[in-house]
Amino acid sequence: MGLRDDLERFREVGEERREDLADFIQYGDLRGEGNGDIQIPVKIVSLPEFAYDQRDQGGVGQGEDGTPQPGQPVGEPQPQPGDGDGDEDGEPGEEGGEHEYYEMDPEEFAEELDEELGLDLDPKGKKVVEEKEGPFTDMTRTGPDSTLDFERMFKEGLKRKLAMDFDEEFLRELCKVEGIEPREVFEWARGENLPVSMAWVEEAHSEVPDDERGTWDSIEAVEENVEREPVQQKIRREGIKQVPFRREDERYRHPEIIEEKEKNVVVVNIRDVSGSMREKKRELVERTFTPLDWYLQGKYDNAEFVYIAHDADAWEVERDDFFGIRSGGGTKISSAYELANELLEEYPWSDWNRYVFAAGDSENSSNDTEERVIPMMEEIDANLHAYVETQPSGNAINATHAEELERHFGTDADDVAVAYVNGKADVTDAIYEILSTESEDDE
Amino acid sequence: MSKTNSNADRFRKQAIAGELEEPVTEARNLARKLGLDPYPVKYWIIDYDEMNELIAYGGFQSRYPHWRWGMQYDRQQKQGQYGGGKAFEIVNNDNPAHAFLQESNTIADQKAVITHVEAHSDFFANNEWFGLFTSGRSDDDQVNAAAMLERHARAIDDYMSDSEIDRAEVEKWIDHCLSLEDNIDQHRVFERRLDVDGPIDDLDDDIAEKLDELGLSDEVKGEVFDEEWLEKLEEADESVTFPEEPQKDVLAFVREHGKQYDDEAGRAVEMEEWQRDVLDMMRAEAYYFAAQKMTKVMNEGWAAYWESTMMTDEVFAGDDEFVNYADHMAKVLASGGLNPYSLGMELWEYVENRTNRRQVLENLLRVEGISWRNLMDVVDFDDVLDELEAPEALETITADTLDALEEVPAEWVDRDALEAAREGEIDVDAYPWKVLTYEGLARRHYSLVKRQHRGFLSRVSQNDLEQIGRYLFDDARYESVAAALADVEFTAGWDRMFDIRESHNDVTFLDEFLTQEFITENNYFTYEHSKATGQFHVASDAAEDVKKKLLLQFTNFGKPTIAVYDGNYNNANELLLGHQYNGVMLDLGQARETLKRIFELWGRPVNLLTIVKEVNEHDIEVAKRRNREPEAEEQGKLLRYDGGEVTVEDVPWDEVDHLAADDVDYDTKPDEWLA
Repeated sequence: MGLRDDLERFREVGEERREDLADFIQYGDLRGEGNGDIQIPVKIVSLPEFAYDQRDQGGVGQGEDGTPQPGQPVGEPQPQPGDGDGDEDGEPGEEGGEHEYYEMDPEEFAEELDEELGLDLDPKGKKVVEEKEGPFTDMTRTGPDSTLDFERMFKEGLKRKLAMDFDEEFLRELCKVEGIEPREVFEWARGENLPVSMAWVEEAHSEVPDDERGTWDSIEAVEENVEREPVQQKIRREGIKQVPFRREDERYRHPEIIEEKEKNVVVVNIRDVSGSMREKKRELVERTFTPLDWYLQGKYDNAEFVYIAHDADAWEVERDDFFGIRSGGGTKISSAYELANELLEEYPWSDWNRYVFAAGDSENSSNDTEERVIPMMEEIDANLHAYVETQPSGNAINATHAEELERHFGTDADDVAVAYVNGKADVTDAIYEILSTESEDDE
Repeated sequence: MSKTNSNADRFRKQAIAGELEEPVTEARNLARKLGLDPYPVKYWIIDYDEMNELIAYGGFQSRYPHWRWGMQYDRQQKQGQYGGGKAFEIVNNDNPAHAFLQESNTIADQKAVITHVEAHSDFFANNEWFGLFTSGRSDDDQVNAAAMLERHARAIDDYMSDSEIDRAEVEKWIDHCLSLEDNIDQHRVFERRLDVDGPIDDLDDDIAEKLDELGLSDEVKGEVFDEEWLEKLEEADESVTFPEEPQKDVLAFVREHGKQYDDEAGRAVEMEEWQRDVLDMMRAEAYYFAAQKMTKVMNEGWAAYWESTMMTDEVFAGDDEFVNYADHMAKVLASGGLNPYSLGMELWEYVENRTNRRQVLENLLRVEGISWRNLMDVVDFDDVLDELEAPEALETITADTLDALEEVPAEWVDRDALEAAREGEIDVDAYPWKVLTYEGLARRHYSLVKRQHRGFLSRVSQNDLEQIGRYLFDDARYESVAAALADVEFTAGWDRMFDIRESHNDVTFLDEFLTQEFITENNYFTYEHSKATGQFHVASDAAEDVKKKLLLQFTNFGKPTIAVYDGNYNNANELLLGHQYNGVMLDLGQARETLKRIFELWGRPVNLLTIVKEVNEHDIEVAKRRNREPEAEEQGKLLRYDGGEVTVEDVPWDEVDHLAADDVDYDTKPDEWLA
């Protein structure tokens, strides 16, 4: 008892058991459509019930701006408030019932997966698309006025002023000390680190009116009675107009040149469609490949997908057909790699990141793995080669492809991953295994 | 999927619970002040996973083992994982009600949920349709749905674990029952039927026994109640068709008179005890959930309305939380189409405004010299609205303005609370509503002067005005407009809403309050399928068309009405169902499959009389060429399933005539619409 159990029972409905309900199941298929959003399929089992004929029933819609004209066609009926409990309609077993999906953006998906699995796959930029002007961060001493870095010039000027300015009034007061000599004033000022020159002091000293000479008894008396104004305060009082601009502070900004590399990826999906690949295995492949595709799609700027189906021969197929195809023939995995190699010529290794994912139940014709597949895998340059073994019915004796790969490449090879998916629970682990193999491989 | 909670987890939840204690208490106080009368609510803080589990289980913690919960869980998880869907709240109809708050909600969300939940709980407690389930129960002071569902869960789990019973058989049996989940009589009081014995009592024994009890002499018995008489009686009874009236509660009928089909024996045998028991449980659950299905729009609208009153108008959200709240509310109301939240809320506001408007207009029409003919000309509605504004003393209530409340009518002020506020025992800055009564709050939140409703009063149509004015007597009661307005009953809108929430369901609610004004403003239209073009087209934007189409979707759960017409059809104990045809035909594919399920519950052949619309290919071709709709012909059909195959045959019209309703028409196709 419990939800876990209910979920398990639900997954089995119409498959391992309850064939009576098989006709009432509607599956969506896994496919990114239109705006690039991913649609997650939901299996829906609707029990039959007395219902109205959808066409005869019609419905109510809501116009977005104004009400549409009578006669105007409308799309598929909008969900109606009456079907609140999410019932699916349509005749049992009839094709084309509406599937339910939840939509998600591939980039978000990749982010989530990164977070969930702690992955950090950093896509490698390959092809240089253009040299772009980066931000204006480089500096030159000449240039057009419009690129003059005024802010910098102002700051420099300000710094200079801070360094050069001093409290003139205070020094003038000092000059009024009884019997003081310019030299004494100058020395005092230097002792205070004031950037004043001897010439300035002499001039100030000579300018003191006679009746003010002897205003103060001593330097100490001035220090006690005259308030000194720090330079910062002075600048604030006088305003920034007094900040000197100098030619030597002029800098002209200049854009940085950045090589923009496009992050291209081509993903080759290879699937064994031979007779031994039954529905269950097929579904496991789909469950593993699809998130991988989305993930890579989310990671790269430009993702292309190639689908190869094979039994003893290989042929390229469309995505729509890829997961559905079933053939009767035997199995020769190398046929797929040969075709992959051929198709990948369009995607040169220098410009493209390449991923080659193959899946099957590890059955292969004798010696094919060792004599042909392994050499091909070594020959085809790729960020990652992966083989996903789906074996829901337990191990068969002659199914050794995955094992042989592992033996040859080792379990910690950085560009070959082998994963085993024996049930839905293994899918996440397999994805992790595959993607983490690649992510460790930082160049 | 129980999880052992770590201490940290528990402490975190406790901390959240501590923070929410005051909002929970005060939301309840506020709800009561506003006139709501909810069941007590128990609040639970749960995490995201627990929320998903509850949603899968329809809001309860424990349900019978069944794959469909797994299906809902699967969907819920995917929605959360990929769709970013966020569940805010679950509350279940129970006494006490249980409500679940997700720990990750912001405090503003939590408060919104709490106010929303209090209003739902009021609806559960006071709507008569919910009462249908409760009042039929022996322990009628308690709904205790959680306990009932838990009991069902245990019982069914026991059956499934029973080594004598095949688990898959129990599951299938549940599925069969679920196919008939909507075939109950939801407008009647739910009665549990507890007689688990065979269907029809053995007549002979029974009557013979009764005769014995009468203590009649054998002589008399021999004279009057002889064997012949008994036989006759028996025959008469068997040839009588039952039920006497068509019975809509198909689940009850098969529960009482059904058998199971024994594959090995190749005939009907009595149901096992567990089968009858499961049927009972499924039926009880169907009745329990029926009220919710019947009042979705009303109930959600009700909760949204009071949530908004409490959160926005009474600033329960707190200034800093308000932005969060407004965002939350916008999301809930924004989802497109006929969203029950926004539809319901708008209708409730409409009820309130219309009632208030009527009040004001009636009073104005009672002013000397004002009649429905001249009202629009002689009354300045802006002045009226100014006059209707709540006095400043009610608008702004803080600790410093309490004295101003002495000036307003006494019935608006809660004297005790006012004294307490003066003493500083009530934080009137945080909870100004505490010093007001229901009347005072109604005055404070009077709908017609709210910014978004200010145009409502003046939008009254001349027609409505005339309707109100014509039958008004005592029409010179007031000397001036001011005197008339002083006499307005400000609680009228709310009072009316409370009455309606007691007696209506979605069908009656929409029927009465979905107006032309509403439909036009929201750009609603109907669409119909064209046989000529093979697709759906916009058919009509007329209010009456939209309304009837909408009512079709709400009447009887939006499902066709099927009733038992005969439990002894063909004089061979076959079941005869009739589809009460309202002009919209059945989905025949589904009907066939459903018949197969009913066969399992009846044990003998099942039949269904219905009416379909048929169009011949030639007419379609002609219609296509002429851009017209072909004429459909209505034809009686008998579907029959005998355990082997489904057969469909035409029957003469007079056999289905009694099923056809001639006073309804849900077709909204105009005559010329494809041209």
